[in-house]
Amino acid sequence: MPELPDLNPVVHGKLRLALLTLLTGVDEAEFTWLREKTGATDGNLGAQLLKLEEAGYVTVEKRFVQRKPQTLYRMTEAGRAALTEYVQALKQLLGEAVMGGQ
Amino acid sequence: MGTEANGMELRERLELIESMIAEGRRSTTRWAWTIVLWGVAFYVAIAWSTGMFGGPMWGRHYMAWPVTMAGTWLLNWLLLKRMHRSAKSPMTTVKRSIVSIWTAMGISMFALLLPMGLSGRGDQQVYVAVVATLLGTANAASGMLLKWKAQFACAVVWWLAAAASLFSTVTQSIIAFLAATFLCQIVFGIYAMILESRERRQGAANA
Repeated sequence: MPELPDLNPVVHGKLRLALLTLLTGVDEAEFTWLREKTGATDGNLGAQLLKLEEAGYVTVEKRFVQRKPQTLYRMTEAGRAALTEYVQALKQLLGEAVMGGQ
Repeated sequence: MGTEANGMELRERLELIESMIAEGRRSTTRWAWTIVLWGVAFYVAIAWSTGMFGGPMWGRHYMAWPVTMAGTWLLNWLLLKRMHRSAKSPMTTVKRSIVSIWTAMGISMFALLLPMGLSGRGDQQVYVAVVATLLGTANAASGMLLKWKAQFACAVVWWLAAAASLFSTVTQSIIAFLAATFLCQIVFGIYAMILESRERRQGAANA
């Protein structure tokens, strides 16, 4: 029986997974856009983004646009690789779950 | 039981990934109005270049296309910039590809039409053929990228207008251009605007 892969706990969190997936399709995203798409609260969103930043999966850039603060998030290569690995592991586990249920 | 619950949780994660991919692709920027704007600009350029406007300034027919196109490009850029700022919609790969195609087409058109106008080389039929071919190319590339058959059909209309222009009289060539503009800029632009507003309504309902 083949060994089942472990799911990356940083990516596995629901909100963190949603954030990483959203960031794969864009060059960079504003905090407000991520909040709008995920429906998360400011506090929770900030905390989860910080975890992703600490893991090296996203980078953050703070700047001012027309005197208004803007926080931009970008996915790193490590983040992209982690998400790809996670999806592959998920597919493998799902295959096992289907087989196991039969 | 444990396996079943685990399987459900994993499936939930997969569904979350799918829904977030779709959510990220949903654009909040309105852009279909630009198609109509350019259609109106083509009508203005045609009217100017064929002497439909009176007055000394409008008498410089050779300036009609370069000036109208440059003016519309500037207006388009300013309006899009303003909208992009308020919508806060991030740049996606698809969006960047579409913008690149149309920017390259615009630069090509400007780089070719301005010297053609100033040098006096090329008649009305050649002008129409050049503009229609470039529009056909950009519409075809966008249509293939977005897998949008209606836009690809517009490309075919533009290419047909370009070919027809080279075998026709000045009047026929202008009629072909006006007809293609009406179909591919005005009608198609309004159709795209309707689709866009429907998508936005659905997006708001799903939110």
